Amino acid sequence: MRAGGKLLLLMLACSTLLTACTPVAAWERGTLAKPEMALESDPLAATLQNHVYFSKEASSGGNSASGGGCGCN
Amino acid sequence: MKSSTLLALTASALALPGLSQSAKADAPPATTTLAYRVSDYQEDAIDKAKVLVGSADRYGISVQQLQLVTPVGDNYSLSLGGSRESMSGASPWYTLSLPGSATKVIMSGATIREERNEVNAAGRRYFDNGSISVNAAYSKEHDYQSLSGGLEAERHFNDNLTTLTGGAGFSSDELNPTDASKFNRIQAASKQSRSVFIAVTQILNSNSLVQSGLSYAHMSGFLNDPYKLFDKRPDTRSQWAWTTAWRQFVPAANAALHADYRFYHDSFGIDSHTLQLEWYQNLGNKWQVVPGVRVYRQSAAGFFHSGSVFTPGITTSSDYRLSAYGAISGTVKLQVEIDKFTVSVSGERYLSRTGLALRGGETSPALVNFTRLSLGVDYRF
Repeated sequence: MRAGGKLLLLMLACSTLLTACTPVAAWERGTLAKPEMALESDPLAATLQNHVYFSKEASSGGNSASGGGCGCN
Repeated sequence: MKSSTLLALTASALALPGLSQSAKADAPPATTTLAYRVSDYQEDAIDKAKVLVGSADRYGISVQQLQLVTPVGDNYSLSLGGSRESMSGASPWYTLSLPGSATKVIMSGATIREERNEVNAAGRRYFDNGSISVNAAYSKEHDYQSLSGGLEAERHFNDNLTTLTGGAGFSSDELNPTDASKFNRIQAASKQSRSVFIAVTQILNSNSLVQSGLSYAHMSGFLNDPYKLFDKRPDTRSQWAWTTAWRQFVPAANAALHADYRFYHDSFGIDSHTLQLEWYQNLGNKWQVVPGVRVYRQSAAGFFHSGSVFTPGITTSSDYRLSAYGAISGTVKLQVEIDKFTVSVSGERYLSRTGLALRGGETSPALVNFTRLSLGVDYRF
């Protein structure tokens, strides 16, 4: 199975596991709304870090569509 | 690269419904935020014993970032941003494998001085059970310009416990390498990128959530590095990345754990694993300290050679970024809230190591270590 197929299968497996979760009422989600619980707590800092890693490593991409490039060498 | 505009709007959109918001309606951020960051990035000098010709000093970069995120009416938000980078220093030009000797690095001659400016914008429309956003960015350097854009949509399900996010993006870049005639470089070239992604976010319980996503990007055009001698890469590159992020609040410690993992695979033959852990420790109501560690391991591209191959026309590169290596970095951030301001200072120390390479393979003598320091101010009004 090619790498792309393995990745898709892995993602589907993880999604299936997520069905075993505790129901959380709206009034119980205060902790989840804390800034330190955000998927990205500091967007500007993350942008710079991703820019540095994009320039200095071979890998890129993740949970978004890719942005612009640079002549970083 | 992920644009700061999209990250900012995504962060606000995924700020899960709090006690003050409707259980059904998605909503823009409650306040306007103006954020400024100034950062200094400095690479360690390369070991002089590895340098055959040229300066051992490497890149130093100063970066300023500015971003405004604001609600517009009841159903929209807008993000405007910009950044300016000033770069100077030398970088590896090519490598030379001599009989009976370790591979040596020939550095670029004169110190490179460059400036990069970027502007970006994004808008998001909020609905009862989700939102859509559009974003665009333009960057300009003396020898490079890039225009990019994208569209993203998210939908909440299961009483907002589950969120499905998807999007697509493009980038169109133009290169005009410096001193093209002098060094027999290409005069002008272009490359394009198309990408898509999909992700699922799930609230696990009142203290934790997880997100898992898959992205695919296809690049085509001139993918060589014009500033590396005898650097010829395939004219297409397909990239896959699977990421999983876990956020866990620990009430006993008044802290949150962030764990992020990415597996990457591309058509150059490179696989990589990235694991990043951060601990968000609250200190009272105003202070927060965030130590973190990141481990990165990659394999070499199939056409990477430690010593430059001086055969015109064949696919080859000695660019250290395509070699088999790994890196470990430590980060720390300290922030304090003062009235409507949040002031932060952070740093990172990044160390490359051939011993962390994935699956062995050819390594490079030109790996980079760097230090980054950043100062930030956020103002909410």
